[in-house]
Amino acid sequence: MEFIEFFKLGVSQFLGYTGFANVTWGHICMIAVGIFFIALAVKKNYEPLLLIPIGFGMIIGNIPFVGGLEVGLYESGSVMNYLYFGVLHGLYPPLIFLGIGAMTDFSALISNPKLILVGASAQFGIFAAYIIALALGFSTMEAGAIGIIGGADGPTAIFLTSKLAPEMLGAIAVSAYSYMALIPVLQPPVMRLLTTPRERLIKMRPPRAVSHREKVYFPILGILLTTFVVPSALPLLGMLFLGNLLKESAVTKRLAATASGPLVDIVTILVGLTVGASTQATNFLKWDSILIFGLGALSFIFATAAGVTFVKIFNLFLKDGNKINPLIGNAGVSAVPGSARVSHVEGRRYDKGNYLLMHAMGPNVAGVIGSAVSAGILLSFLY
Amino acid sequence: MKINYKYFILLFSLLIPLTLGAQSPSDLRINELMVNNEDNLADEYGKHVPWVEIFNTSYNSVDIAGCYLTNDTTGFAAGDPSRWYRIPTGDPKTVVPPRGFVVFYLDNLPTYGVFHTNFDPSEPTSSNYIALIAQGGKKMIHFFEFPAYLRDTTADYTYGYKKDFSLADSVMIGDSLVKNKDKLDYFTPGAQNYPIYEATKAEIVQQKDKYGLALMVIAMTVVFSSLFIIFVLMKLSGRLNALIPTWIKKYKDKKQGITSEPSVKEGVEPTDVDSGEEMAAIGMALHLYFNTNHDYESEIITIETPKVHASPWAQKQLIHRRIPRRK
Repeated sequence: MEFIEFFKLGVSQFLGYTGFANVTWGHICMIAVGIFFIALAVKKNYEPLLLIPIGFGMIIGNIPFVGGLEVGLYESGSVMNYLYFGVLHGLYPPLIFLGIGAMTDFSALISNPKLILVGASAQFGIFAAYIIALALGFSTMEAGAIGIIGGADGPTAIFLTSKLAPEMLGAIAVSAYSYMALIPVLQPPVMRLLTTPRERLIKMRPPRAVSHREKVYFPILGILLTTFVVPSALPLLGMLFLGNLLKESAVTKRLAATASGPLVDIVTILVGLTVGASTQATNFLKWDSILIFGLGALSFIFATAAGVTFVKIFNLFLKDGNKINPLIGNAGVSAVPGSARVSHVEGRRYDKGNYLLMHAMGPNVAGVIGSAVSAGILLSFLY
Repeated sequence: MKINYKYFILLFSLLIPLTLGAQSPSDLRINELMVNNEDNLADEYGKHVPWVEIFNTSYNSVDIAGCYLTNDTTGFAAGDPSRWYRIPTGDPKTVVPPRGFVVFYLDNLPTYGVFHTNFDPSEPTSSNYIALIAQGGKKMIHFFEFPAYLRDTTADYTYGYKKDFSLADSVMIGDSLVKNKDKLDYFTPGAQNYPIYEATKAEIVQQKDKYGLALMVIAMTVVFSSLFIIFVLMKLSGRLNALIPTWIKKYKDKKQGITSEPSVKEGVEPTDVDSGEEMAAIGMALHLYFNTNHDYESEIITIETPKVHASPWAQKQLIHRRIPRRK
């Protein structure tokens, strides 16, 4: 009899610990979102490097369990909690920026420096979203973190949110990465709405060749100028320009290869996984998360509109041969190279012989710098 | 005369450690002092004795162990620390956290523990200063003078920096400018000297810029300005990059006495300069010629994996080493 009692107790205890006993509709909903992200990546090829780890992380983060087993992301001492440390303390974003720097070719920007200003104009999306978030009742720190989604830069969004509103990290990171993946869907309607058929056909002058010396100068000048103005952006911009110098110096090929290859791959996996896992239904499924998603979409739309409109205004001051195709205005948001690819595809839609990719890369990489500078400004004002 | 820059670099690198004092005891400052303690902070034995608070101004932990505290610096010139209180080493509590504080009881009872010194500034014969001296006894970290009335008159009041150690003579407290080093309004051993909760940056922004417009204007101006500066410099560097080789060539030619005719006369369209398209066409033709019409093999041997129709379970290289490819 005692054995049977113990057996019953054991079985009921075991069943109480399983996911089936603890599952809620929230968990199922978030697991479904995770699977949807994976499907988007596999079927539609939308940012698979990000959506696969994030989607799988969502599944991992939403497996129901009884607290105290040290398995959850938010439980001190768990492996996932250790991995999440890099997100929470802003360790991963600078490492990703190192890789981005080592992968980025700033030639398009150096050969046509005026495109830098397009990258600056698109940062308007960040501050438009900030204003709307304030109006919706978010605190200034939360509004700053939400606004940075408009920078279209995952690492920057994580870095800033980890400082300003860590409790919103999951929602903001997932929102930023989701919209980066959805750039081909979000941007073209705004671009078409704001441009005339004639403007879309503008052919830009081919960029001049950029010397090795200029490419080496650029990261040094870039770090000095931007971080003297906004020192709080140092972790991001320092690593971005270091990565670029490793590449462009041509004497540290091994380091550049590591930064742009294995290192950035490892960090991308860890960021994606932990950000995805941070969307535990209990913490994530809130009205605020839905608002954040809505504001994220708005900030992308504002950023795109600001970039395109700026080019149109800028063109008023440029001579005929020097005009810029406003279809590259969208590339000022720093989703590299997604938004530049959208410019290119849209350009070719109206003129098969109009190749805008290289031109769009200029504002695109300027957008990376611009969003890091914006994050630095928000940090210096709000943190 | 040829200058050997190596020596300059070496000299400069030797000087750097002498000027940098970050994250060392040199970042410590005497921040608050109470000499006449009747009813204020009690030590671990329940006694009310004079105390001094030391502030770590750096953003990293600093170990104060091995430093000296004294109110008698007579042996300083001779480097004689025998009369000073040497803060014992080996106690983890001597590590002051970043922007943190440590309190010492100035009770002339060093046998009471690490944080009890061998002098008492409340004694009538005591000097009117406290000195914090670095390990080794040769470098003065902070010499903190206090007025004599602190000892003689009202009890239980502290003297120090209104805003935790700052070099400024005057500081803003609320809306008014006040003397920095003075009698303090709050007793704050082991805590910041101005404990009134000042609004955080975010709160100030929330109060002063409710709709976020000012922040937007400032931020966009800063973003534009910083990127505009890069734009101007890159524009200049592009031009300089094109001009510098010409200047160098001209300078060298001039030095060697060569007078070269300009290859392209002003106002005349160059005829021997090919356009980008022509160069690209020539490049492509050469590429095709060298890569397709060759008469020798590449000498690369390729081993193709045999396509075996057997069960993959029997051949692990087929299932473990292949990464699936999207069709």
